[in-house]
Amino acid sequence: MARVVLENLVKTFPAAGNSAAFTAVKGINLTVEEGEFMVLVGPSGCGKSTTLRMIAGLEEVSSGSIRIGDQVVNGVLPKDRDIAMVFQNYALYPHMSVYENLAFGLKLRRLPKSEIAARVQAAADLLGLADLLERKPKALSGGQRQRVAVGRAIVRRPKVFLFDEPLSNLDAKMRVQMRTEIARLHARLGATMIYVTHDQVEAMTMGDRICVMKEGQILQVAEPLELYQRPANLFVAGFIGSPPMNFLRGAVVRSDNRRDFVADGGVGALRLALPARLAEPARALEGRAAVLGVRPEQVQLVAEGAPGGHPCTVELAEPMGAETFLHLRSAAGVFIARVEAGVTHRQGSRVCAAFELERAHLFDAASEIRLT
Amino acid sequence: MSAPVSTRPGRAGRLAAVLPHVVIGAILLIEFFPLYMMLQVAFKDNAAFIDNPWLPAPLADWRWENWWFALNLIGPYVANTVFVAVTGTVCSVALAVLGAYFFARYRLPGSGVLWSLFMVLMLLPGIANLVPLFTLLKELSLLNTLWALIAVGVAGGQVFNLFVLRNFIEDLPKDLFEAAEMDGAGHLQQIRHIVVPMSRSILGTLAIMAFLGKWNEFLLPLVILRDRELFTLGVGLIYLDGEYVKQWGQIMAAYCFAALPLIILFLFTMRLFVKGLSQGAIKG
Repeated sequence: MARVVLENLVKTFPAAGNSAAFTAVKGINLTVEEGEFMVLVGPSGCGKSTTLRMIAGLEEVSSGSIRIGDQVVNGVLPKDRDIAMVFQNYALYPHMSVYENLAFGLKLRRLPKSEIAARVQAAADLLGLADLLERKPKALSGGQRQRVAVGRAIVRRPKVFLFDEPLSNLDAKMRVQMRTEIARLHARLGATMIYVTHDQVEAMTMGDRICVMKEGQILQVAEPLELYQRPANLFVAGFIGSPPMNFLRGAVVRSDNRRDFVADGGVGALRLALPARLAEPARALEGRAAVLGVRPEQVQLVAEGAPGGHPCTVELAEPMGAETFLHLRSAAGVFIARVEAGVTHRQGSRVCAAFELERAHLFDAASEIRLT
Repeated sequence: MSAPVSTRPGRAGRLAAVLPHVVIGAILLIEFFPLYMMLQVAFKDNAAFIDNPWLPAPLADWRWENWWFALNLIGPYVANTVFVAVTGTVCSVALAVLGAYFFARYRLPGSGVLWSLFMVLMLLPGIANLVPLFTLLKELSLLNTLWALIAVGVAGGQVFNLFVLRNFIEDLPKDLFEAAEMDGAGHLQQIRHIVVPMSRSILGTLAIMAFLGKWNEFLLPLVILRDRELFTLGVGLIYLDGEYVKQWGQIMAAYCFAALPLIILFLFTMRLFVKGLSQGAIKG
């Protein structure tokens, strides 16, 4: 178990052929505490995998430093960093049996045979692989292969585990199952784990903390609920949560003693009186473009004519079983409401929606930073 | 009621089905005819051969002593050739794996130029190198030694081996090498535990091709070998032809002995050979 500290970490890929030089990671700083499960999340090309590969030693660091425990490991070979990595494509050795795959790293480290056998057996028991030890990877299902890949990391007993989108090749059901298994494994081993994914559901359900990245930079590092409830900016607010947060673009205007948010849309556009929590910070945005962020569960269906209700048309209803997502069109644009299941809303039907503004967020449209 | 439809092929269809077999049969006949001649003449003395060159002699008249004579005659040549071919093949494949691994896995400054230079070598006809090669071997005091054959054979075959192996190794999943690196494998261990086991069929094919090339090598040993006891099969058989030109049965028996190891090798490794060739063709 060890702490991992990234300081001003930069990775620039030099120009090659027709492609220009490209900086994938732009001076990030991040501390992963001992025993913490840190999830790096972000869209494709945000630099999360490059960051992980630099920690692993598979990519050279352009500048900055990586510390694992007390040691700066920039120039240390991957095998000497005392870390283990689980790859997206499992990376099992196809010509070796499951046992040989698990034992390979230990054999290279010249551990005694009895020790190797004991460690492999322990990992196999932990991961339910005991009956598969003689099989070759091609005779395993996707979930079993992923377990072997995890097992290969476990037997090494490394200071830090790295996971590079390990579940992205599994089907939805297996993904949920493996997600739970990895989370359980972390609780059991108490090891430092750094996990890369582009799936925000995985990030929310597994991470002690989540690091959201975009275009080579860290936008926010926080615990899952904090990230959901207090996103630092528009990107994080839109990336975390499924369905994503609704964004209404407009402006803050002063009206008598209060401040209103007026959505874009011209005459008859949506006008919302901001509650005290939003009104004070909104002063800075007066007369400027703003974005109002409302989570789908903060959109309520109300009776026609109820205070705060806005007429909308149901564009699409997505029944999820326990709840239904309604895509609603109003004068302010399209937004999603998370409503109870059981009530049938047909496409094209008219409903009235009200926004629960006490929990809404206001963003500066120019800087995209959250003000409230 | 509709008329029953005949499923029997017409005359054109039958011809189309038979024709390929006829063509293949003709090719096989042409290919096997020299082998047939070699084998049946090896059991005759000169009189029987001149009397009836095309058909085998009756079993009672078979001259088994031709084989015994040939075996004694070419035994040392076979030993020399086995030494040169086996040593050369092992060194050739081993060095090719190392070189191909480097070119496939690493892009260092200048490696592109180095690769291009290697490829240019493939375009040079071997015969054009003969005189400079002779001079070089003379300078190195390697003339009239089997080591010269091994060294030249190993160096000469590398370009093709590298060309094939590099592409093959490049197509192996990069994650495997990285996983091995994380597991603690250095370069040589990655070659031993990842490249070699996963390239077994292509390596086998290259080894067979290298072995065939070295076994059948003629021009180089002819130029650089002087002592009869160092002769390899290619040169030895030619001298045999010159001295025993009238003893066709003995010569053919010697040819049979020379060809036998290759036939046995191919029979045992045919599956590997074909698999390796097709892998090289479709991978990537």
